[in-house]
Amino acid sequence: MTKLDNKNFMQAVGNADEINELLRRYGVKFGIYKNGVFNEQFFPFDPIPRVISSEDFRGIEKGLVQRVNALNEFLFDIYHDKNIVRDGIIPEDFIYISKGYLAECEGITPKNKVYSHISGIDLVQAKDGEWYILEDNLRIPSGASYPLIARELTRIAAPQAFSENHIVDNRGYAELLKETMEYSNCGGIRAILTPGRYNAAYFEHSYLAEHTGSVLVQNDELFVEDNILYQRTYSGSKTRIGVLYRRIADEYLDPLTFLPESLIGIPNLMEAYRSGNVGIVNAPGNGVADDKGIYYFVPKMIKYYLGEEPILKNAPTYLPFYEEDMKYVMDNLERLVIKDVAEAGGYGVVFGSDLTKEKLEEFRKTIIAEPRRFIAQEVIDFLDLPILDNGETVMRKADLRAFVLSGEKTKVWASGLTRFSRNPDSFVVNSSQGGGFKDTWVLSQ
Amino acid sequence: MKTLSFSFSTKLTFDDYVHDHSFALRIIPPNTEAQKIISCGLDISPAVATKQTVDAFGNNVTAGYIQGDHRFLDFEINGTAEVDSTKHSTFLMPCYLYQSEYTAPDEELRDFYTELKDKNITDVSDRAAFFSDILSDIIEYKKGVTTTATTAAEAFAMKTGVCQDFSHILISLLRMGGIPARYVAGLAFCDGETHSWVEYWTGNQWEGIDPANNCPVNDDYLVISKGRDFRDCAIDRGVMFGRYTQQLQLVRSVLT
Repeated sequence: MTKLDNKNFMQAVGNADEINELLRRYGVKFGIYKNGVFNEQFFPFDPIPRVISSEDFRGIEKGLVQRVNALNEFLFDIYHDKNIVRDGIIPEDFIYISKGYLAECEGITPKNKVYSHISGIDLVQAKDGEWYILEDNLRIPSGASYPLIARELTRIAAPQAFSENHIVDNRGYAELLKETMEYSNCGGIRAILTPGRYNAAYFEHSYLAEHTGSVLVQNDELFVEDNILYQRTYSGSKTRIGVLYRRIADEYLDPLTFLPESLIGIPNLMEAYRSGNVGIVNAPGNGVADDKGIYYFVPKMIKYYLGEEPILKNAPTYLPFYEEDMKYVMDNLERLVIKDVAEAGGYGVVFGSDLTKEKLEEFRKTIIAEPRRFIAQEVIDFLDLPILDNGETVMRKADLRAFVLSGEKTKVWASGLTRFSRNPDSFVVNSSQGGGFKDTWVLSQ
Repeated sequence: MKTLSFSFSTKLTFDDYVHDHSFALRIIPPNTEAQKIISCGLDISPAVATKQTVDAFGNNVTAGYIQGDHRFLDFEINGTAEVDSTKHSTFLMPCYLYQSEYTAPDEELRDFYTELKDKNITDVSDRAAFFSDILSDIIEYKKGVTTTATTAAEAFAMKTGVCQDFSHILISLLRMGGIPARYVAGLAFCDGETHSWVEYWTGNQWEGIDPANNCPVNDDYLVISKGRDFRDCAIDRGVMFGRYTQQLQLVRSVLT
């Protein structure tokens, strides 16, 4: 932060209202389901960027590439020989009880063995400067378009900030995504599949389609014939799709393989995929690798598959499944954070310190009854970041979702989505919990 | 060893035209250790190009797409196979140890298992035979009460069912006891429909048992598909568009 010219920086800050107004006009929204009702809400942008030094970024970059490479190896192994289970590194139960494991994907090898093409890895920086991995998102991580568009607008509002600071240009994301999709292309055009405008990330789907030169499609214009995926065109002809960046969940992808009641899927898409006629980004079945229970084993995967020491640390995590860990969790519950492995998006996260004595007792019993359902973590003392709140600078908890793209090489996008919590006491920064976002500046020197 | 000739057909009729009809059929019996397919022909009407794949569970999948208007879909297989039930498959997919959509027990079924467990039968085959014996005593074989959507727990609560329900309950019991088990759909005891039975893992191979008839599986059983439960083995799955309100399915099978 000190490296930044303060005057220009404040100029950007001074234009916050203007930028938020532009974001509103662009329709940059975040939709959430609450009590069964769909609400679109504005995802507020905070103009003070998070700044990551080039040295710091190089460390994160190396660690993330290592982690995602190991996760891709793991996915190939689990859907084929399962050596990591056979060698006793991960107990079998953790794989097969996971909702993300899809037996239907057994034996499928995606083109070039890439399973997680776009990985959204959530990190936090502790007060001592050390980065910790909080969560891996290998299914359909969203959020890359927010820093892209915010940067675009800040560039208009405060051009000096960019001419006088050495900030890595983040506009390369679209090119990186295009490269990644092409590497998994089985012959045909690129397409992005959206469930439609009522989805939380619809804005992002259309934004990415436009910027990667892909067609934005919904299922009613797609069909599978001769195990090849086609888009129906208005003229009555058909265009072959070679790679599909789908923004719908695995269960809904193909009603003839997964949920029969899915109305947003494509019948026989899995047959086309299994036959090697279409690439699916990200691969179905990836949920087995980003399960909160599997998270614990990722450092072990890095050693097992790559023979390397993990560069980035996990937050210290305990699995009540192991007797020793159960004892620790029971003894320290009031100061740990407990996560339900089946939940996502900030739901199912409980801080022991928020619970009354009775609730703690109750929760202990639940954990003992279902040890596989929970993980427990030490609460990391996050580094707070400044945000603007009604004209005043206040400090708030924030995380960083880094985007790692796996094409011919695994690359980390030199930007990312920094999310912060509105509430000064909250550690939960998920956008589905009503926080905001910042741009993430990676300095080039 | 025995040579079986088989024939199986399904006629699907709609009460109005349908179009953009995608389907996936699991009707071509697989070549395995225990059954050698000598010949197998498939006829589909209306005429449509199809593609074959093998799914995660080793089943032959025939996929197709009919774009234009039609009111029916008929398909038929005819062939011969050499069946040798003394040969066994030795490949175990770990997912068969875990309960699936149709087999997840409720409290009643879990309590029932807990009681049976106390009998302390250690040999896997003895245990499977014992469970099958008990089920044939307490579950009444009766058509028309359960449907293809009925789970093991639901059928067990009604104490009634057909071969599919017997299979699901037995699989649920075996898995509760840590024995991998799978659902088998095929042809046997032909009363003009398809049959279903169970295979369990002895520790080094798969062994068949027919809980609906409470007997071991012999050379008179032709396997069409296998999976975690009925869902993985549905003969035909399809998605179509149109204003039809009903579809009628007629099934005919012959095994000699």
